Amino acid sequence: MKKYVSKIKGGAVAAVALTMSFSAMADINVGALYPFSGGLALLGNESFRGLEIAIEERNANGGLRGEQIKLVKSDAVDAGQAVGAARKLTSIEGVDVIFGSFSSSISFAATQVAELAAVPYFELGAISDNITDRNMKYVFRSNPTAKNFAEGTIDAIFKVVAPTYGVDAKDLKVAIIHEDALYGTTVSQFQKDIAKEKGLNVVQTLPYSAKAVDLSSLVLRLKGAGADVVLQTSYQNDTTLFFRQMREAGFKPKALIGAGGGYSMKDTVKVVGEKNMEGVLDVDFAQYLMNEAGAPGIKEFQATYKERYGEEPRSGHSLINYSGAKIFLDALEKAASLKADDVREAVMAIDLPIGSTAAGIGAKMNENGQNIRANAAIMQWQDGELKTVYPEAAAVAAPKFPQHP
Amino acid sequence: MEIFLQLLINGLMLGGTFAIISIGLTLIFGIVRVVNFAHGEFLMIAMYGVYLMNLQFGLHPYVAMLPMFFLMFALGAVMQRYIIQPLLSASDEIQIFATVGVSTALMNAGLMVFGADVYSVDMSSAVVGTGMTSIGSLTINNGQLMTFIVSILLIGALDWFLKYTFLGRAIRATAQHRDAALLMGVDVKKIYIIAFGLGAGCLGLAGGLMAPQYPVFPTVGTFFVLTAFIIVVLGGLGSLHGAFLGALIIGVVDSLAGYYIAPDLKEVVYFSIFIAILIFRPTGLFGAGRGSE
Repeated sequence: MKKYVSKIKGGAVAAVALTMSFSAMADINVGALYPFSGGLALLGNESFRGLEIAIEERNANGGLRGEQIKLVKSDAVDAGQAVGAARKLTSIEGVDVIFGSFSSSISFAATQVAELAAVPYFELGAISDNITDRNMKYVFRSNPTAKNFAEGTIDAIFKVVAPTYGVDAKDLKVAIIHEDALYGTTVSQFQKDIAKEKGLNVVQTLPYSAKAVDLSSLVLRLKGAGADVVLQTSYQNDTTLFFRQMREAGFKPKALIGAGGGYSMKDTVKVVGEKNMEGVLDVDFAQYLMNEAGAPGIKEFQATYKERYGEEPRSGHSLINYSGAKIFLDALEKAASLKADDVREAVMAIDLPIGSTAAGIGAKMNENGQNIRANAAIMQWQDGELKTVYPEAAAVAAPKFPQHP
Repeated sequence: MEIFLQLLINGLMLGGTFAIISIGLTLIFGIVRVVNFAHGEFLMIAMYGVYLMNLQFGLHPYVAMLPMFFLMFALGAVMQRYIIQPLLSASDEIQIFATVGVSTALMNAGLMVFGADVYSVDMSSAVVGTGMTSIGSLTINNGQLMTFIVSILLIGALDWFLKYTFLGRAIRATAQHRDAALLMGVDVKKIYIIAFGLGAGCLGLAGGLMAPQYPVFPTVGTFFVLTAFIIVVLGGLGSLHGAFLGALIIGVVDSLAGYYIAPDLKEVVYFSIFIAILIFRPTGLFGAGRGSE
């Protein structure tokens, strides 16, 4: 009998200890809403790693407001699932804030749910401008938007391509190609508008499906139009397909300029080949080869990442998510409480100059919750590395094109 | 004119790739009468298999596709024996749901095992299957040409097998009338297992042939499978020649519409053709007609 009693006692003690340790560990629940499976999983996961490192760093340094942060992952593969995932986080898991989401369509759906539930939603990576154009009170975004990207690609023509070739930018024939979903359509629309405004000669604008298995006809049209500069907004598979078929058709434009997505991925280089990627320009969230002067903490982040996941970062998504998460975590620390209105007040008070975070961005939110100090970097693939080439302050290499002697 | 010819070549070559994927699908449908929605994921597995064999043993994809044929045959046979066979007398929806379930499970299994990263077979030191052949100013991708040739050979071989071997005749008998074949002493269950295996095995070949052109990732199947379904319906469910012709038609339409209309509208064009075929000839180009089972 005694034996059983002591067993029960032991069990009870263990159970109490367990609940105690749980309550101490999980006082602040924070939602992480990303595509963890499905087609977007690679970049979704890469984005999440940035957030995870920011949270773990915070927890190691005493946590948030004296409590440990517990990340509650919620998988959203598309807009449909995003609604369910956000509902789960706001109602069942009862998280205080949500971080997300990599994909714009996922963000659109999820932010609506969060806004209705008055749960602050921190967008760290989705780039569609409209996300912060809907007068939402509790949706904030730290990263640059599609418009910033488009500005970057046009800047690249004027500031990098034309000077390096020693020609007038307006004499170059520009082609715009893009995948036909929200991401590609949004960026390319801005590209068209800005190009027109600046007097560029756009000879072709061709949308295509990101799931296309053949782009040879598109390449032939570009070749026929004699395009000098191709602006592509794409994911990974369509980027590799385009590069392969461009090579097969013997089409060699003076410059290729990507707007993030597939152009920023190391995996793309692995598939396309280092030699074939040489000289390709890319406008995106800042990557790892930046002057530390303009991106304090970038080396440290890289080292932590490598230690934590046993590999080099696969793209800049982790870095921008990390920097954004840190900006917002600091605001949460200073907020009067974690109630949505107090959080908004604290976020609005953020004021960081450009060049003060690991991703090089600054932070100052406008009324819509959009960070107006988020800029995209212009980079170039050189020897298999994505090197920042513009603006000069953050540059680590001078631009050069293998096509140009 | 030159551009038109180049587009035609590109379209036919793309059609060859579509054909090699569609052959297995139409075979399984024509004989087992199951619409296999996991077809795309089988292709994904075959492509990973070829990639791994290349990585581990340095096998050229065209060599790796032979063992892959048998591995995929085994996988298809297992799927038929343990998933489809118990559901043979169930209604069509149940069978469809089962294959959709397998499709989702395999895709996510791929994601778990390999992650979402994109891998491609390293062809830099390979001699065959890479590069381009030029005829005047026209160019043909050697890898695609190989795929085209193999798909013709494969159809010829399957045709011969179905017409002139005992097993092939039994397979055709089963396809024509399951119960009558059973009464004639054909082991229908065994025939189904073999047929499903053959259909999946064709994807083993497809995996090897496509490796030089397409990288592999967990959702690669979804890029091809919808087109394969259209092709199979277009050609007539169960018809090998129909699938081949359908593949060429879709390939050429894809190429021409991409150039002369717009790259993002090419699907509109071939879906329109698809709808027209369904309205005017519901059994497809080479369909068996309304009288068949």
